[in-house]
Amino acid sequence: MTRERLDTVLYWLLAAGAIAVALWAQAGWNNYAVRLLTYSGLYVILVVSLNIVNGFVGIFSLGHIGFMAVGAYVSALATYPLARRPATFPTLPEWFQSLALPYPVALLLGGAAAALVAAVIGFPLLRLRGHYLALGSLALLVIVEQLAVNLHPVTRGSRGLAGIPMLTTPLWVWAVAVVVVYVAARIKSSGFGLLLGAIRLDDVAAAASGVRLTRYKMSAFVVSAFFAGVAGGLWAHLVGVIAPSVFSYDLTFRVIVMLIIGGLGSITGSVVGALGLFLLPEAFTYLEGAGTHGLSQLLLAVVLVLVMIFRPNGLLGRRELSLARARDGAGPGGRLGARTTGADRPNPDDA
Amino acid sequence: MLRRALIFLLPMLIVPLAAAQIRIGSLYNVTGDMSSIDAPGNNGLRLAAKLINESGGLLGQQVEVVTVDGQTDQTQLTNAASRLVNVENVVAVAGINDSTFALAAGPVMQAAGVPFVIAGATLPTLPEQIGDYAFMVPFGDDAQSFAIVDFAIDQLGVETYYMLYDQAYDFTLAVREFANQRFAERLGAGALLLEDSYQSGDADFSSQIARLRALPTPPDAIFMSSVPSDAGNLVQQFREAGFDQPILSADGFDTPLIVEVAGDLSDGVYFSTHTSLSSDDPQVREFVAAYEAEYGHPPENAFAALGYDAMMLIADAIRRAGSADPAAIRDALADTQGLDLVTGTITYAPGSRVPTKSVTIIGVQGGEYLFQAEVTP
Amino acid sequence: MNGTYLLQQLVNGLAIGSLYALLAVGLSMVYGILRLINFAHGELMMVAAMASATFLAGLRVWPPLLLVGGMLLGGVLGVVVERVAYSRLRQASEVNLLVTSLAVSTFLATGALMLWSGQPRRFERVEVLSRLYEVGGVFVRGADIAILAMAVVSMALLTWLTSRTRLGVAMRAVAEDLRVAYLMGIDPSRPILLAFFLGSMLAGAAGVLWGWKFGQVAPTMGFVPMLKAFVAAVIGGIGSIPGAFLGGIVLGLAEVFFVGLLPATYSGYRDVFVFALLFLMLLVRPTGILGVSLARKA
Repeated sequence: MTRERLDTVLYWLLAAGAIAVALWAQAGWNNYAVRLLTYSGLYVILVVSLNIVNGFVGIFSLGHIGFMAVGAYVSALATYPLARRPATFPTLPEWFQSLALPYPVALLLGGAAAALVAAVIGFPLLRLRGHYLALGSLALLVIVEQLAVNLHPVTRGSRGLAGIPMLTTPLWVWAVAVVVVYVAARIKSSGFGLLLGAIRLDDVAAAASGVRLTRYKMSAFVVSAFFAGVAGGLWAHLVGVIAPSVFSYDLTFRVIVMLIIGGLGSITGSVVGALGLFLLPEAFTYLEGAGTHGLSQLLLAVVLVLVMIFRPNGLLGRRELSLARARDGAGPGGRLGARTTGADRPNPDDA
Repeated sequence: MLRRALIFLLPMLIVPLAAAQIRIGSLYNVTGDMSSIDAPGNNGLRLAAKLINESGGLLGQQVEVVTVDGQTDQTQLTNAASRLVNVENVVAVAGINDSTFALAAGPVMQAAGVPFVIAGATLPTLPEQIGDYAFMVPFGDDAQSFAIVDFAIDQLGVETYYMLYDQAYDFTLAVREFANQRFAERLGAGALLLEDSYQSGDADFSSQIARLRALPTPPDAIFMSSVPSDAGNLVQQFREAGFDQPILSADGFDTPLIVEVAGDLSDGVYFSTHTSLSSDDPQVREFVAAYEAEYGHPPENAFAALGYDAMMLIADAIRRAGSADPAAIRDALADTQGLDLVTGTITYAPGSRVPTKSVTIIGVQGGEYLFQAEVTP
Repeated sequence: MNGTYLLQQLVNGLAIGSLYALLAVGLSMVYGILRLINFAHGELMMVAAMASATFLAGLRVWPPLLLVGGMLLGGVLGVVVERVAYSRLRQASEVNLLVTSLAVSTFLATGALMLWSGQPRRFERVEVLSRLYEVGGVFVRGADIAILAMAVVSMALLTWLTSRTRLGVAMRAVAEDLRVAYLMGIDPSRPILLAFFLGSMLAGAAGVLWGWKFGQVAPTMGFVPMLKAFVAAVIGGIGSIPGAFLGGIVLGLAEVFFVGLLPATYSGYRDVFVFALLFLMLLVRPTGILGVSLARKA
């Protein structure tokens, strides 16, 4: 068996293992541990889906959590207990008051809504580059939050929605996580992924070679947003309550840190980053008690700066954890794919 | 063989010893925006537990209070509630002074079958919305809004008013609704000259002030439906802008922030709350003395007393139930009759979990929070 | 909707616009010279404001002295940030610079939150500043006049500095083209330091002035103003100092008039409006009103 084949088998085993652990957790684990397992899966989904845009295409978007918010609210509205709807949403029309959707449908709907928003906002946003795009996407985050705060009849404003049925189980989350990782891996190793890499390396040259920039950037953006939306739905049905303040810059920063430290462009890096940077601070908080939430955030910031200085490509760079060595040549997985955006400031540390 | 058996038996001995403690959860936003009322609440609760333990405990066992901080964040709060119920295995949870947070955390306790004694949140529909394991210690917003409006009309001679409310909380929206309702009932629809709103956390109210100033005739009173963190700011800015009319509010104004931030501009502020800490009532005096002895300063506001009462309510239920089983506690709570506490007497009418209590009106004068009246709706 | 009301809104708009202008100019200076959007810029303003509120304001010193104190705080903190974090990343990719900037911002914001707690803190002001003066039906706060004065003075000083002093001109040269400036014999490190110091000083000034205007400050106050400063800089033309100033004023006026002219129910959408404006500008005229050359846009 070739090294590559071994890798594939290994990954499928890991995926099966994740599902098995999820099932085991549901059957007998302590509720708190179950929560931890579920949250970590959620972060995996968020980070891997963000990697598709930030890592593969090199578009540094900070608006990912905005899409999560859209998915959360839409799916929550879809599954909200009928008995409580008149009290919570007194002004919404009759058809809404009697329409409750099954959980999977609600999740898909949330993802679809987020994808739609991405498609619309992508047109102006994706014309920007670099820092401009980062800030534009951050503005998107604020806009989504402000809309959630102001559209009282639908979102109940700052008060948020409580009483969302808590339907999320570790199985749901990890099943979706496996799907996201699979999709990302397929993209990365496909022709589509190759084109995304070309756009990342030099979008002017890519356009000159006939690559339809808008179409490809948009596709990646929409796929990424879809999964963020699904993650939002999963989150809403895990915590049981959502409010505009949940989908904040703080959460954005957390996900970005996981992504960068894991390695922009590396899927396994994202998984490792997500798990590691969720469980470690959580353990810290549990040991130290309440009030240290700020401390872990502070440490994350310091660690991030240190990583930027000493290991600018994160733990894994663009490579994947694999038995096969990284191949030479162009493409997101190879050596030439290791450069990050910024043609005027080449990074000598890139392998 | 014998050694193995002993090792097996040893944990069985320890477990009953460890269980000789009744664990009560204290769920508060000790840090964050709500801390000015939640931290005192937690203090009050822990004080009550300490006093109970000093006089023999409950059912021969010591009470242990486990406090988990919600950090004024709904997600954190829900996680904290889950920790209390699933990890710390408490038999009852008490706490929370804000209705939005009560709505967020309540379902966790309800699903786990653990009684949730809401210390200070006042939305009258809370127990209905959360479920039969939720009980309220304070009166509902309807009671307190009616009380302050009645006071304003009867004692201050108010005939017209301006309403400013916060859009961010169930509590402030409810108070606005009930206050408007009472004003309309008693003075007719024309009493409301202008209504305006803001979002909690706004630093600048100059737009609202400008709109108020543009009114042809100034109102007799300004009603501010707000939460504690904005109270001081609101009073300061409106007073600085030259508005001298009485300012009215509900228990969201029961915070030291008003005097701390607005200083002597806070004269003429009136609000409804759960008790006056300067009252002569022996129970109040006893509580204030005990609080000061324990924490080195008098209780900051009525929410400290409410936390204290929440613990006492649970203790009373446990005694009557003769057991620390959550379901038994719940049933005993539902039967509470004529229980005299610092903030009033608690009786739950059959099927209701909101008590009928008297409302205290406080006025701020010269930096002091002075008792004005006690109104029973 | 009479003349007095409109005039009042104009005054309010100029005041808040000047605050945005000060922030935008500082942000633009750093961007111009390092191609770095300093996300921590808002937090510099916040720390200066919080520190001034805690340690200086209570001393009841002469206001201009307090302002200088806040400016020095901001300036020094900015330089520290540059030395500790950004200077080591001169050769780093755009993404890494951005991420570092985010990290510094989070560090400062979280640190302040832990130090001071989230509760807003009162900013002590002398009577002259907190009082509302009435001129023909229009109310102006003493602090607003100070803000306007400060904005004008700092612009004048900056213009003088960048055109009449060697270091200032060197700064402009480095901002315009780093390589050519280097070839001309200019050591870029001092101009960069100066740009950071001055830009952060302006952020510090904005912090104190904010405290004077609103009477309270909080650790969460830096995030949204930083975004708005960016919007202002984009409107005016990023990389252009007069542009950033103009952009700030324009943004302040737009924001106030949006809230003032529309019915009260829309005032919650104020920030949505501001950022929608950003998207519009970026689509229609990315170089801004006083835009710099197209090639250096990103």
